[in-house]
Amino acid sequence: MLSRRLIVCLDVEGGRVVKGVQFVSLRDVGDPVELAQRYESEGADEVVFLDIAASAESRGTLLDVARRTAERLFIPLTIGGGVRSVEDMAQALRAGADKVSVNSAAVARPALLTEAADRFGAQCVVASIDATRDTRGGVASGWRVVVRGGRTPTERDAVDWAAECVERGAGEILLTSIDRDGGRSGYDLPLTRAVAERVSVPVIASGGAGGPEDVCAVLGEGEADAALVAGILHDGVTTVGVLKDAMEAAGLPVRRMERGERRQ
Amino acid sequence: MTASPAGRTRRVTIFDYGAGNLHSLAKALAGPEIEIRIETDPAEALDTELLVLPGVGAFTRGAERLESARDAMRNALEHGLPCLGVCLGMQLLFDGSDEGPGAGLGLLPGRVTRLGAARLPHIGWNTVTDGTDPLLREVHLRDTYYAHSFACRPESTDVVTAWTVVEGDRFPAIVRWHNTVGVQFHPEKSSAAGVRFVRAVVGAALGARI
Repeated sequence: MLSRRLIVCLDVEGGRVVKGVQFVSLRDVGDPVELAQRYESEGADEVVFLDIAASAESRGTLLDVARRTAERLFIPLTIGGGVRSVEDMAQALRAGADKVSVNSAAVARPALLTEAADRFGAQCVVASIDATRDTRGGVASGWRVVVRGGRTPTERDAVDWAAECVERGAGEILLTSIDRDGGRSGYDLPLTRAVAERVSVPVIASGGAGGPEDVCAVLGEGEADAALVAGILHDGVTTVGVLKDAMEAAGLPVRRMERGERRQ
Repeated sequence: MTASPAGRTRRVTIFDYGAGNLHSLAKALAGPEIEIRIETDPAEALDTELLVLPGVGAFTRGAERLESARDAMRNALEHGLPCLGVCLGMQLLFDGSDEGPGAGLGLLPGRVTRLGAARLPHIGWNTVTDGTDPLLREVHLRDTYYAHSFACRPESTDVVTAWTVVEGDRFPAIVRWHNTVGVQFHPEKSSAAGVRFVRAVVGAALGARI
């Protein structure tokens, strides 16, 4: 049976993880390679590196990090943040990413998704959508697409845009609720469900995880295929093992590691 | 193209169709006394002890890149050259694909068709079932990572040594014929057990050629 996935996101800037990550046993808590490996050994199903600076200099460093990571990480790696062109995507994939996520650049020029899918295959192309609740009219679903890290609203309806991304070639949707991001009050379940019911590709829910019950809710009631988590793991609020135990206890299909393989 | 020093270094060659990440696969294949070569010329790629057809890109592009040496490659595999085909690399062992035009190696009779699932691509970890493949137990491989929309439909299921099911569509997870192994999942992305699977394939391949 196809498992529901738990995906760990690391914010990277200039080749370093920028938010503090509290693994007491690690010598260098800022090294993305070491942290990604650590999360793999705990049972994470995938890792995402999000380049939050997205400057040319930071990008070059990130590609170097991706190269080192790919040689030591044996679960899928997605790279996102500031991806502008098919050539940016080619560089990330060559460096060691298995998938690349595109956000603002696809909103500005949706054909980018088609070009990328034609060249690399849909399974490499993740459409990253930042959405905010907006019931003042103008967007029929009640959620609006925002860009530039949530600062700039667009004219697009988030649910319609997700459907268009898939039509244009995206193989997955990474859906972030900007309203919930960082708040630890739970994922936006109605938003996630609205998108999951509209599109035919897997949906990764992001923004708002506060604990195991939130992860289980978005994978169950929210109908997401995968849950993205960041802060609650990095801050030591919970662990990958605790989250996956909760997923299994909730009756969700999860990937189990061999006994003795998981490090706590 | 240097000769193996003292006959000790063993050569494993990844055929590069030109797209995607080969780093993890190369690292999973690596071992002591093993030279990993990445080769873009399909004829040159046959000068090896294990040929690896990696799993990134589209069928048509892969078929185009094999075209100039397709007969030679099929011939080499028929005569026992060990081969590991991953995802697209497994699909290229067959005759052709509904994904797009182009001829596969035709080593295994059958075609590649779209999965019968509502949610595609089939991305994520799925369970290998009905496995008679000896390696599954040996390396404790159960859940493997998939990223594909198409699957192989062999004319004879005798070549299938493990299956996976997505939304009721049962498709081959592993096929074996002579010294060729094809896997629809990505063992190089299936964590520790997947890496053990790759290393066991390498071990068997190099052992078979001694």
